[in-house]
Amino acid sequence: MGSTSARNGHDGVGRRDLIKRSAALGLISVPAMSFLSACASGGGGAEDKVDKGKKSEENPLAVNESAPLDFVLFDGGFGTQYAEDAVKTYEKKFPEAEVKFSSTQKIQSVLQPRFNSGNPPDLIDNSGAEQMDMGVLVGKKQLTDLTPLLDAPSVDDPEKKVRDTLRPGIVEMGQFDGDPVWIMYYAYTVYGIWYSQTALEKLDSEYPKTWDDMLAVCAKAKKKGIAGWTYPGKYPYYMPFSMYPMMAKIGGREVLDAIDNLEPNAWKHPAVKAVFEAYYELFKKGYILKGTTGMTHIQAQTAWNKGDALFIPNGSWVENESSKTTPEDFRMSVGAPQGMDSADKMPFGTIWASGSEPFIVPAKAKNPAGGMEQLRLMLSESASRNTTELVKSLTAFDGGTDGIELTSGLKGCEAALKLAGENVVNPRMQDWYVKLQKEQIGVAGLGELMAGRLTPAEAIKKIQGFADKTAKDSSVKHYKHKK
Amino acid sequence: MQHGKYRFVVGFLAAPLTLYAVFVIWPFIQAVYYSFTDWTGLSPDFKMVGFANYQRMFEDEIFWKSLQHSVLFVVLLPLVTLSLALFFAFMINVGGRARKGAAVTGVRGSGFYKVAYFFPQVLSIAIVAVLFQFAYNPRDGALNSALSAIGLDGFQPSWLGDPDYALWAIMAVLVWSTVGFFVVLFSAGMASIPKDFYEAALLDGAGRITTFFRITLPLLWDTVQSGWIYMGILALGAEAFAVVHIMSVGPGGPDYSTSILPLYIYQSAFRDANAAYATTIGVALLVITLCFAAVVMRLGRRERLEY
Amino acid sequence: MKTTDTPPADATVTGNRPPAVAKSPHVRPAKQRREGSVLNVFSHGMLVLWAFMVVMPLLWAVMTSFKTDANIFGSPWKLPDSLHFENWARAWSEAHMSEYFLNTVVVVGFSLAGTLVLGSMAAYVLARFTFPGNRFLYFLFIGGMSFPIMLALVPLFFVMQNMSLLNTIPGLVLVYIAYSLPFTVFFLTSFFRTLPTSVAEAAFVDGASHTRTFFQVMLPMAKPGLISVGIFNFLGQWNQYMLPTVLNTDPDRRVLAQGLVELAVSQGYKGDWSGLFAGLVMAMLPVLAAYIIFQRQVVAGLTAGALK
Repeated sequence: MGSTSARNGHDGVGRRDLIKRSAALGLISVPAMSFLSACASGGGGAEDKVDKGKKSEENPLAVNESAPLDFVLFDGGFGTQYAEDAVKTYEKKFPEAEVKFSSTQKIQSVLQPRFNSGNPPDLIDNSGAEQMDMGVLVGKKQLTDLTPLLDAPSVDDPEKKVRDTLRPGIVEMGQFDGDPVWIMYYAYTVYGIWYSQTALEKLDSEYPKTWDDMLAVCAKAKKKGIAGWTYPGKYPYYMPFSMYPMMAKIGGREVLDAIDNLEPNAWKHPAVKAVFEAYYELFKKGYILKGTTGMTHIQAQTAWNKGDALFIPNGSWVENESSKTTPEDFRMSVGAPQGMDSADKMPFGTIWASGSEPFIVPAKAKNPAGGMEQLRLMLSESASRNTTELVKSLTAFDGGTDGIELTSGLKGCEAALKLAGENVVNPRMQDWYVKLQKEQIGVAGLGELMAGRLTPAEAIKKIQGFADKTAKDSSVKHYKHKK
Repeated sequence: MQHGKYRFVVGFLAAPLTLYAVFVIWPFIQAVYYSFTDWTGLSPDFKMVGFANYQRMFEDEIFWKSLQHSVLFVVLLPLVTLSLALFFAFMINVGGRARKGAAVTGVRGSGFYKVAYFFPQVLSIAIVAVLFQFAYNPRDGALNSALSAIGLDGFQPSWLGDPDYALWAIMAVLVWSTVGFFVVLFSAGMASIPKDFYEAALLDGAGRITTFFRITLPLLWDTVQSGWIYMGILALGAEAFAVVHIMSVGPGGPDYSTSILPLYIYQSAFRDANAAYATTIGVALLVITLCFAAVVMRLGRRERLEY
Repeated sequence: MKTTDTPPADATVTGNRPPAVAKSPHVRPAKQRREGSVLNVFSHGMLVLWAFMVVMPLLWAVMTSFKTDANIFGSPWKLPDSLHFENWARAWSEAHMSEYFLNTVVVVGFSLAGTLVLGSMAAYVLARFTFPGNRFLYFLFIGGMSFPIMLALVPLFFVMQNMSLLNTIPGLVLVYIAYSLPFTVFFLTSFFRTLPTSVAEAAFVDGASHTRTFFQVMLPMAKPGLISVGIFNFLGQWNQYMLPTVLNTDPDRRVLAQGLVELAVSQGYKGDWSGLFAGLVMAMLPVLAAYIIFQRQVVAGLTAGALK
């Protein structure tokens, strides 16, 4: 850079030249410093929102037909195709609107500065490892209430509100305290014990309905050199997928509500203890696949696909995620957790199912009506069916599976939901208290229990301690189930 | 040397210093400021809370655990990595048998080693971590397969899943990925040591070990010191974070056995929406790094050999 | 394995003093020789072992990039059943290698040049001149090495936004330079201190200005140091992804590391391992090639430096 002039010019010129350049650089930077005084706090005020459009039957949310829409999608297991297809329907409906669609795996890294500067997008799929904390977003008034969307007529049937086309529990999950609905969960996940129908048949067994049967099946498998269970040892927070509903089955919904409410001694309930002891039994009897504690979800799922283990606690995304390693004749399915005996409070079939892929419309979005309209279009039957076909997942839209060839795992989900009927539970730990659920209960509690490094009694004591600490932590926002 | 000195000093420092102040110092000052607030990171709305975050930090068990692990990283990683790298570089450059006219040569195949050892460096650390997940897979990973191949069927740890091994397994990855770079760096330094030094030593009948400690190490000391600092920062910084984040149970587990400060910062900021607390831990990390740099530079203050 | 005792083939390269050397094996006492050969076996063993440890994983990665996902997990140690080039095609398009590669070369090229020029200027002044505040500035630079970048990201975003540098290549270059300065200054300061003072003084006495002394005398002498710190910075900037993730979100201006890390992260969600391995092998090749070419220059540069 500076060296050429210094070498060619005579003595002083090079230096002066250099000083001049440095000064010039300084001149650019110094006034800039004054702009910089704005900390994150001061970041430019939100520009005005776009004007409302004309409300009509076709346009119930009064979307401005020419206003641009800014849509940021989490690019995860579902990929981006389902959303891109949905964007096309928006563009078709509003040909003058320019849709800026982008996707990322690092939601918070990319969006954090935009929230701080009051310039967030109009619609976000806030998901993945860098999911932004919903409690904080709600608490800091960063989100738009989606009630207008829920009360708008649905795309397929103008007589029906959007709210009435959704699966049970979806609307409630979007509420935090009070009536406003802040989040629209677009996908619908069934959690439980996943297995291969073929593998069970090879053992002349059926899916066990009680824990004793479970142990019997595992014993049978062990004789053949097959492990009963595996789980993502590196992410032990998969364990609750089958353990939580089992607690509810044995002790009733109140057990899970008490846990969610961070009530003192919630974890000391006999039902919790029974479940912990049942699972500890798996470890003690050697029914867990060797090496499981060091495996990622992919490694565990692959071992399960290969038939090294019969059961794995998982969510319905597993079918799509493991599709490349699943044998043709695997016949994947999902089962509800087992119970103890006839004294259980809930029937067999009790299962955990809830919304996933949370979509939000920021409070400072320029075109919130557009964001909601895009969601409304995504909740149409045809869009929902398209998504189910593309990503092998149910959506929040109740139905949307007619006329498509359901995969084995999806059929399992439908059957499990049918069997469950009313008995669907929805523990909120994983969206209310992420750290407590994943790091403390999951890794430090259940992970250690399943590895045999903690006894059930020790694990309960440890987890109760974590829960009590979270309940007392003033930097964490606390929530309660509605009575 | 006094003529026009200040003009020169100012002229030379202006550009780098401005750039540095605007893009590095100023954002960091703001970050430190946030440690006295309750900023969530997700909204521009926050208030001052004084030293509350610091108080919380001092009472936070996980912070202390992460601190311990980070200190272990910063002490052990440079030591192991640099020792290995010095040994390899010495062998490659001067370890060869002196015969047929050459006083000082590398071992046979040193050209190959120089290229091969650099291989890990062409991968970004995130990819290295992904790669090693395969090696550590307890079922059919490279490590356990190799162990059973040599008859150790009884010894099949689950590596990252076992609190006794997890931290060491992760440190090994960092050593693996950085040694090659220092071999290259030290080789460059060794190549610039005049050959007559070695010849003189050989004439005195010095063995290779003596030669190493009497000649190579002292003459290379400045480079070693720089490498030491670089490695220490790596052990406290983004590289250590990436490896723990991708490889460990949880991450940070099992049961906090691999939690380190940068990971805890990341989790506080990006999972718990507590950016203020994250910057508080960041300030602690800053203090530790400065202490580390000060110690190394103090240890490094030896008499300088000019040649 | 033949690891011991074969005379190097290129023995003539450094041998301009045969008499002293020819004697040396004979003057070694017998005891030392025995110690030597035990040491030899051990040392060579270590060298070979380490080479094996660093080469195998990469060869394995290359092999794996041609396999299907089912085979990667099902039989990780077997050779691919056939060469699945479609992995490479997918990675090429998903990681946007072709588009991102050019961006990366431009960004890293300018950053590296800027870092070396500005870094050596600052380091030279700090190493060779006494003035009030010298120590303070030195430690200010060193302190910058120690703060985690991820905490500065949000404030930095606003700095960039206010200067209209967001999502621009020059903006990214300036940030890369700024964040590379601490280590560069630290490294080069200690390097300039080791250079003999006599040469600079002589130049100065001959009437050269400070600036001219720096560019014409000191910089050439500092070439080995510049090369070393250049490698450090090249690697750091080439693999940097945290800064561009936040400051450079425009899809057209992304750098390679962003594409690769996205590819790596997506494995957790999509399980496209074969694509990942293909991508990493592709990204690895240019760096490896650059190193092999560069390595000769390093040696050449160092020799030149040592002659002065």
